[in-house]
Amino acid sequence: MNDEEKEQVFVDLVKYSWDKFNERLNNSKIDEILVGAVVASNVKNGYSLIDINSDGVNHYLRFEKLTDRTRIIFKLNNLSEDLTVAKVQGHLADVTIGYGEKVNNVGTVWNAFKSEIKSAFMLTTEPGVITCDADLTGSYIYVQIPLILNLDKYLGENIYTINVPLLQKDIDCVVHSLRKYLKGRLAA
Amino acid sequence: MGLLSFISNFAHKQEMNESKDEIVVGEIITAMSDLGFPVIGIMSDMDYQRIRFRTVKDPILHAVTVTLDRKTGGLTAMVVGTQASLIIQAEVKNYLADPDDLLNMYKTDFMNILKIPILGDVKINHELNSIFGTTVKLINIDKFLGGGGQNVAREELRNILMGEINRIKEKIASHKKKSAIEPKL
Repeated sequence: MNDEEKEQVFVDLVKYSWDKFNERLNNSKIDEILVGAVVASNVKNGYSLIDINSDGVNHYLRFEKLTDRTRIIFKLNNLSEDLTVAKVQGHLADVTIGYGEKVNNVGTVWNAFKSEIKSAFMLTTEPGVITCDADLTGSYIYVQIPLILNLDKYLGENIYTINVPLLQKDIDCVVHSLRKYLKGRLAA
Repeated sequence: MGLLSFISNFAHKQEMNESKDEIVVGEIITAMSDLGFPVIGIMSDMDYQRIRFRTVKDPILHAVTVTLDRKTGGLTAMVVGTQASLIIQAEVKNYLADPDDLLNMYKTDFMNILKIPILGDVKINHELNSIFGTTVKLINIDKFLGGGGQNVAREELRNILMGEINRIKEKIASHKKKSAIEPKL
């Protein structure tokens, strides 16, 4: 082999390495891409990001609408961090979305929690089950629901192209339903 | 009920005061999202937030990192406003760096070693296959918080970000080397 042929083999080996490396790297970025898209969606829906945190597995976000002090909370967990899993089942994420309002009446807080206190064996991770929670320091009551989102629905031609308006619409619809449920629980 | 209401309002006001930099981070993420740059890294601390974005549609830049470092709070902020430094770093990445090219890059790096970004200069730094350009801008966070005229503030933040990114890009664009093995997005 002459020098040119040897260098071509070298370039081909490096190119293959980059392709495989980027495949894994891009898949590992889905967490952050999702967090960024959720932030952009909620800010466009009129909320401001007030807290962002992570414990290495789950990402926690809190938003507040500064005009009426209502809040939205998110817990995000990427279920397809492993590339093989992502290729088999697609990109899925475990997402808990909560909607909260400020209450100053302790009696209201107590009444809203009646169902949660009654059921000792309630599994709160089932999708579609809306539960109550409270932040007593800030006097907020939240209703929250766990969902499993198909992230491929929001990804475009590549992993870095996100359909933020679609995600924004879906989050808005979930928040609308949670708001309706919370108002009903507080009024009961 | 009066006392509880007073305490919760005070706690809420304090919480909002501490969350000012997170509010601006949310605006930065939204502004960059509108430019087509998704988040690929987040590091969040009490008064220090660093977000990394993939500059997908840009043929020169690989990524941009925006760091918001809050400098004032509490009583100081009441006097001078909530000041923060906005550190913007843009990265050019070369795929397959020839040893001769690496040597040239180190020579340029040495020439830039005394540049201080705070004075508005762009500091250039080379690390392996990447070239970084960094600049620092001082901003008043209170300007970009919610309330009336929010759309105007968001547009101003977007202009600041794009202006600084383009300024850094001009300085480091010459270091970008086209390569057949560069991944296509």
